[in-house]
Amino acid sequence: MLIYLLRRLAIALCVAVTVSIVSFSLLHMSGDLATAIAGPESSAAQVEAIRVQFGLDRPMVTQYMDWLGKAVHLDFGKSFYFQGPVMEMVSERLPITMKLGGIALLLAIVVAIPLGVLAAIYRDTWLDRVALVIAVVGQAMPSFWFGLSLILIFSVTLHWLPVAGNESWENFVLPAIALGYYAMPAMMRLTRAGMLDVLGSDYIRTARAKGLSKSKVIFKHALRNAVIPVVALAAVELGFMLGGSVVIESVYSMQGLGQLAWDAISRNDYPVVQAVVLIIAMFYIGLTFLADVINALLDPRIRTR
Amino acid sequence: MTTISTSPLSGSPAGSLLQATLKPVPLWRRKLNRMLGHRGLVLGAAILAIIVLAALFAPLLAPHDPYDQNVAQRLIPPIWNAQGSWEHVLGTDKLGRDYLSRLIYGARVSLIIGCAAALISGLIGTTLGVLAGYFGGRVDALISYIITTRLSMPVVLVALAMASLVGGSLKVVIILLGLLLWDRFAVVTRSATQQLRDAEFIAAAKAIGASTPYILVREILPNIMSALIVVITLEMAHAILLEATLSFLGLGVQPPTPSWGLMVSEGKSYMFFKPWVIVIPGLALAILVLAINLVGDGLRDVNAPDGRN
Amino acid sequence: MNAKKNVTHKTLTGWARGALLLAGAAAISSPALANKANDTLVYASDSEVENISQYHNNLREGVILAHLIWDTLIYRDPKTGDYKPQLATAWKWESPTALVLDLRQGVQFQNGDKFSADDVVFTFNYVVSSESKAVTRQNTDWIKSADKLGDYKVRINLKQPFPAALEYLAGPLPIYPGAYFKKVGLDGFAKAPIGTGPYKATSVTPGQGVTMVKNTNYFKDSPQGQPKIGNIKFVIIPDPETRSAQLMTGAVDWIWRVPADQAESLKSTPKISVQSGETMRVGFVTIDAPGSSSPNSPFKDLRVRQAVNYAINRKGIADNLVRGGSKPVYTACFRTQFGCDAKVAINYDYNPAKAKELLTAAGYPNGFDTDIYAYREREFAEAIIGDLHKVGIRARLHYMKYAALQVEYRNGKTPLTFQAWGSFSMNDTSAFAGVFFKGGSDDITKDPQLRQWLEAADSSTDPAVRKANYSKALESISKQAFMAPLFSYSTFYAYNAQLKFQGYPDELPRFYEASWK
Repeated sequence: MLIYLLRRLAIALCVAVTVSIVSFSLLHMSGDLATAIAGPESSAAQVEAIRVQFGLDRPMVTQYMDWLGKAVHLDFGKSFYFQGPVMEMVSERLPITMKLGGIALLLAIVVAIPLGVLAAIYRDTWLDRVALVIAVVGQAMPSFWFGLSLILIFSVTLHWLPVAGNESWENFVLPAIALGYYAMPAMMRLTRAGMLDVLGSDYIRTARAKGLSKSKVIFKHALRNAVIPVVALAAVELGFMLGGSVVIESVYSMQGLGQLAWDAISRNDYPVVQAVVLIIAMFYIGLTFLADVINALLDPRIRTR
Repeated sequence: MTTISTSPLSGSPAGSLLQATLKPVPLWRRKLNRMLGHRGLVLGAAILAIIVLAALFAPLLAPHDPYDQNVAQRLIPPIWNAQGSWEHVLGTDKLGRDYLSRLIYGARVSLIIGCAAALISGLIGTTLGVLAGYFGGRVDALISYIITTRLSMPVVLVALAMASLVGGSLKVVIILLGLLLWDRFAVVTRSATQQLRDAEFIAAAKAIGASTPYILVREILPNIMSALIVVITLEMAHAILLEATLSFLGLGVQPPTPSWGLMVSEGKSYMFFKPWVIVIPGLALAILVLAINLVGDGLRDVNAPDGRN
Repeated sequence: MNAKKNVTHKTLTGWARGALLLAGAAAISSPALANKANDTLVYASDSEVENISQYHNNLREGVILAHLIWDTLIYRDPKTGDYKPQLATAWKWESPTALVLDLRQGVQFQNGDKFSADDVVFTFNYVVSSESKAVTRQNTDWIKSADKLGDYKVRINLKQPFPAALEYLAGPLPIYPGAYFKKVGLDGFAKAPIGTGPYKATSVTPGQGVTMVKNTNYFKDSPQGQPKIGNIKFVIIPDPETRSAQLMTGAVDWIWRVPADQAESLKSTPKISVQSGETMRVGFVTIDAPGSSSPNSPFKDLRVRQAVNYAINRKGIADNLVRGGSKPVYTACFRTQFGCDAKVAINYDYNPAKAKELLTAAGYPNGFDTDIYAYREREFAEAIIGDLHKVGIRARLHYMKYAALQVEYRNGKTPLTFQAWGSFSMNDTSAFAGVFFKGGSDDITKDPQLRQWLEAADSSTDPAVRKANYSKALESISKQAFMAPLFSYSTFYAYNAQLKFQGYPDELPRFYEASWK
């Protein structure tokens, strides 16, 4: 198992480096950086001075290594727009996005797993079909539309929850539902498939033959095995949510990382965009690696490889 | 249907008649029967057909020009409201353009983007996947690495950043989505190819001296087609939703082109007081994507009937 | 059957409306509306300022903040239009290019530093220098330098006679603390600004807002009076519907730039007051006449530019989209500005057929593709695009933040832009036509004759000469269709009914005057 994990770790690191290169090039594709920093009112001489001052006249590789070195220390330079350190802006917004993603994932899991278990136990009955319908419909709705509809129903009409912002826990309910709903179908299906798999296996039949009661059989043995891939998927879904939160944060006007990236994109503030893309990708890579570790720890088959 | 006795009369004239009526049903016919029996597939295909037809015959169906704006007639409600009229069945949008016409023409945008993006990403992904699955070893390692890297990039953010660099438009969205959505194609075709790699008919083809390109295109591709079609439908749906998201955020299709995502974005300002402006296009998107997903899921069920994939 | 359907429809619509109003009312009666109790006024607007320094941003949001945190030398009373002493107690023209001012004694900056001539001299010499990287040069270009004549006496030297100088000194030219600024630099100043004004900034969060607290040491003789509200918080909420929603739920006390449709609906909401009025801000489309945005730009041809002017339905937009008193505008100035001669402008009526004719004559029978850039009121931009589309000008929309658009525009890369200009609330044509046609960084037309006329108008002290030159310039701009002026803006304010607030046509909300009922 150790070798398996080390191999996955090595791959993760290589991927991280590649992503950092892509993210670095984003900044440099956006046009002449020296002019952007110097501002529209500056003369050619001032632009040149800025170019030298920021080291933009050095070869690309040197600039990349320099940037990477600073990035590892979480120094992403200064925002073009606000003249303040990028990391400060990022660290203000990151907790909000993490909170949103975490709650969304929790909601998705809390709905997906029981639903999947029930769908598997009562396979091909109306319960199974209803679960499948929920899954299929969930994946068909555009997330921004679902988010807006939730506001329309729960904030404006019923007035149970606030419309926008991120001050109190109430602000997180609707966005978490909107964000988590999209991840729920995949996890539900996986749970269902896993349960069906395990319930039909020799292992379970043996346990039943031994005389263990049906519910004991299900909840002790089957669930544990069926849930393994779901947990791994959950880690990956969290990564997706971090990346996809920009839409939900925009709809609910939350000051999260996604909204920061979106604002930065719309005002050509590329150092910020670069930093956010890199950070989110790193989280995703980390979470995928975590998923691998969980898989390895919980699945006895992988463990013995 | 005539009752058939099971007595062994193969040699007799009655027997040969029996043989003739019991000719084995060809594979494609059997599959078609299975497809027609699958309720989800039929429903999805029917809805999809309606939408495709509506898009194709848009100029005939749409009561007005979707670009025709008349600011004196803004935000007229749909027909079921007291102030609605048959002149504009679904009302008008914020610039006085007929909503129904924009809805119908919007289907074109969604379908074009769905098909084109799925095609481009399908080409890229299938090529990578088949190569990785067939050759294994270093090629596989390299391609798997590329896939993992692509999976680690947050798609929406990268698409937004790229779109803001070059400016949003129909062409840009298609190219961007085509370049970003190939991962599932690669993963699925890779594992499907891996399963086929050691099959007997491949060994046989190699034995008679078939070249690698020939094997890949004529032997492997047709056999992974069923899995491929499923992925095509799912990625079409994915592309349609992503375009809607990009247009909603302002970096997809640009006004005044009608796009359902753009219509939701345009209606956002009024949704508190005139909710139909976002409900209708959003519903249209959901129905289209649902139909495509039903077709995809149906095809998957028909090809692998134990319901677990 | 129809009658029955109508009744059902009416009932349903009535219920829907009622439900919303109820929701709104329920929202407002919730304890969240405790802002009067907290003595905190929260106001929201759509754009963030990239730098809180008034000389480093071109946004109205910046002007509002500047008038809260800083003072100017002269104060123009919004009700009477008179110039009153603020940081300067008296002023006199020593010569047409030298203005001497006596300064007020006993004024303190919010950090305790004493205000003196050093601060005035520092401020003006700094902003006219190139190192300052100021972006509001159009407000300060007339200044050559400032000299200290005594601890409380300064002389401002002008490059040329500039009669509008007093108007500018009373507007967007706040006085900065010299010693403090030199110590912390522009970056530090932007994070922790210090001024002499009625409110002190306690925190500046980029992208989110500014918190301010009442300056209890604000000098008693200020013509503005003493501030009443204890705390003011400025928050940035880009979406107009979110701003409305926040107002309805009490999270915010004051909003503006409310879309006309929402304003209508908010009027009927209890506990919210709505005010509206025409403003000096003019919406217009800039046209790349010299053709710098692309090699064979169609806009080099006068007929194409005229077509743009005929294609847009100004009255339709003003009456149906902008509303609230908005009117079509045909001049490169607002009618109350000195020198704004409406008689010389061509009133391009709404005539899409003529626009198409002109395009065909210019060689574009099937129209052409182009780009239009905008940063505000996306809805108006889309209406303009729709009108242009109808005559064959297929303009692709690039919607972006103002700072990004300004870069593209000033670099000559934009064939068309939709912008709005409030002239920094200055009632002088130099503040509008001068900005866009006198050779400054916002002048993309670069017509030397226009420049000559405008310079003559700006530098003469004889009002007749000024008017004559402005008329010539405005006539030429209109005949040559160098831009397409469209409509005047109205603004809708919506605010907590417990707030006593007065809006003025110069579009400068004066929160230092506001109080709770």
